[in-house]
Amino acid sequence: MEFNGDILTIDMSISMEEVAEFEEFVRPRIDYIETIEVEEEGALRSSALMALLVSLKRTKPELKIPFLEKGVLVSQKYGTIHWICHD
Amino acid sequence: MTKQEQVKAIFIEEAGEIIEKLDIDIIRFEENSSDFSLLNEIFRGVHTIKGNANAFGFIRLGEFVHHFEDVLDYYRSTQESIEEHNLELFVGSVDVIKEVMNCELDAIPTLPQSYDGCLEKIKNLISVKKNKASSAQEPQESTAGLKDLALEFGLSCSEQQQNSIQRAIKDAQAKQSEGLSVYKVDLTLDTDCYKRGFDYLLFLNMLAQKALLLESFFNMEGIVEIDSFKSGENYIGKVSIVVLTPLSKSEADEFFEFLFDYEYEINLIEPPVLEVIKPSVETAKAVTQNIVSNSMSSKSTIRIDTFKLDELFDSVGELVIAQNFIAQNDKIRSIEDESINRTIETLSKITKRIQDRVMSLRMVAIKDTFDKMKRVVRDTSKKTLKEVNLIVQGEDTEIDKTMIDSLSDPLIHIIRNAIDHGLEADADERIKAGKSTEGSVTLKAFHKSGNIVISVSDDGRGINKERVLAKAIERGVISGDENLSDSQIFALIMQPGFSTAQSISDLSGRGVGLDVVKTSIEKLRGKIEIDSKEGEGTTLSMVLPLTLAIIDGMLVRTAGEIYIIPTLSVVESFRPEKEIVHVFKEKGEFVSLRGQYIPVMRLSDVFNLNAKRIEPWEGILVCVETEGGRIAILVDELVGRQQVVIKTLGKTLAMLKEISGGAILGNGDIALILNVDELRPLVEASHV
Repeated sequence: MEFNGDILTIDMSISMEEVAEFEEFVRPRIDYIETIEVEEEGALRSSALMALLVSLKRTKPELKIPFLEKGVLVSQKYGTIHWICHD
Repeated sequence: MTKQEQVKAIFIEEAGEIIEKLDIDIIRFEENSSDFSLLNEIFRGVHTIKGNANAFGFIRLGEFVHHFEDVLDYYRSTQESIEEHNLELFVGSVDVIKEVMNCELDAIPTLPQSYDGCLEKIKNLISVKKNKASSAQEPQESTAGLKDLALEFGLSCSEQQQNSIQRAIKDAQAKQSEGLSVYKVDLTLDTDCYKRGFDYLLFLNMLAQKALLLESFFNMEGIVEIDSFKSGENYIGKVSIVVLTPLSKSEADEFFEFLFDYEYEINLIEPPVLEVIKPSVETAKAVTQNIVSNSMSSKSTIRIDTFKLDELFDSVGELVIAQNFIAQNDKIRSIEDESINRTIETLSKITKRIQDRVMSLRMVAIKDTFDKMKRVVRDTSKKTLKEVNLIVQGEDTEIDKTMIDSLSDPLIHIIRNAIDHGLEADADERIKAGKSTEGSVTLKAFHKSGNIVISVSDDGRGINKERVLAKAIERGVISGDENLSDSQIFALIMQPGFSTAQSISDLSGRGVGLDVVKTSIEKLRGKIEIDSKEGEGTTLSMVLPLTLAIIDGMLVRTAGEIYIIPTLSVVESFRPEKEIVHVFKEKGEFVSLRGQYIPVMRLSDVFNLNAKRIEPWEGILVCVETEGGRIAILVDELVGRQQVVIKTLGKTLAMLKEISGGAILGNGDIALILNVDELRPLVEASHV
């Protein structure tokens, strides 16, 4: 996880425990974050990360999360994952 | 060929494809005239033809499509519902486009009869519509614009997701083949699922390992804002999964056995059964019961000359032969080196994979051919004033491209025949027979024992065996002394000149049809099987090889030479008892099998082989079905069954009718493939 200015970068393959840490980190700082970038190297490890990102977007609709806005993730491990209704 | 000619050739090819698609789309649109996306598709096709036709000087075609395009444009932009008689005009217009295109290509100066009348109607229609539009008020136009937006953006999230799931199911079904199932799995994991060690991704990962296609749809609607969010709890309410897999339902169930029953639901999605055309006699209007969606999954394709594919296939054939040579070479096999043996094994696997993949390049779904048949059913239904319900099954079954082109005409004839003569004359006759007023015709494609079967079934009168027999005797096709099985009696209707139709129509029943169908199918190395039950209906099945490039053959040895008999023709093989072999003076040898005398044929006689003459009970008789009935081919031994790549023979050998081709065996030897239909006359000749 990297926080550079107003851009927060996280790795897509973070574990459930790391998602909890990320949640703890981001909760008090959400007002200062403008963009969350998700590094798509490796495979998604927990659906909780997707849920957390959606929750953040729902809390702060102007927050940019390009990964979420794509609405689709194609992975050899999980096939094609779609999601919508995040705002 | 000049550049201009090349471009023209491309236009002609593309226009042909567009017109073929128009022909299918216009019928689908007639079935569901509120599908404006389909109308847009038709419009785009007509627009493309217009531009290119004018560019290449096809003025008459250009003129016609120009006005037709205007009409289509009016309806697609206003989304005004299309009157029934105008739908009829649209269908007729596509017919005119087809005919004018042919006139342009063949430089025929006269236009089709329907050209002027149809063009006039189109011009009148657009004139009426334009007048109406000019008197209409502007706010109405802006309403139409708003309607578009509403259509585009008005769907709720759950509706969007449902649509996406349906699209995924159709995509999976489009890729479905024998042995594969499509399931829709709904997972609704509890909020504590993470603590129990479960995650949606876990199940996706397990399914992905057994899936050919896997799409999942996460419903994020229930996710709360960050203040209430706890990452240890699951807020994703539902995940719908569409999976194409060889797993059975019980095997798929096993993935979810540790979940609570209410946390998952698995539904097997049945292959699509489409009731396509249901015309009403009163209105003579085809009505769709189930409509194939117009949405086509986006595919990346390139156009390749089939000649190049054939060359590639030939090369792979050579590769297979070379690989077989290595695998079967005694010197190489005697090398006791594990790494060499492993390499040979790997080479064998890779070669097989390449062969399969190259083969698949030639395979195309039969869907387009089946789509064309909807038009045939519609037109025949109208002409005969019979209500017909067409059921299409297995349209994604793949078949060799070279065979597809030859299948249309036989299919058209069989379908017309089924409606015209198979179904009862009218609704009253059906009601008397205890059937619904509308007849049913089922068009089905499926794999069976390494072959493709395309069947046309009707629920009509069935074949009257007594009438067929009487007619066959009257026409001298049979003497009447024969003890024929049901299938042999049914096969009589495919004899040249045979027709039991009480009235001859312009659709079928001219007595030249089914024998032509039979010949066409036999040219594709296939055969026709007929099954019928009087009062219940008839099924006519075309059994075809998967491809024309490879044949499944029985390898036999006689006089030291290997011959290949197409497995499709083989009924049985056996070593006869001495008692059942008979010699009739001046008629030759026969074997008595279940009350039937089957002529015995010696390959050594046919090919003048210098071999020691063995008695039939010392060898093996391979009983084969031929055009002229069954014959028993006497061979020294059966070598085995094998798929072989067919090689055409040179000009000299091509004159030998008894041989249909050659094949190179694994050990490098050449074997000739027998044309069993040409063997029978020699039997008779050799015994006279």
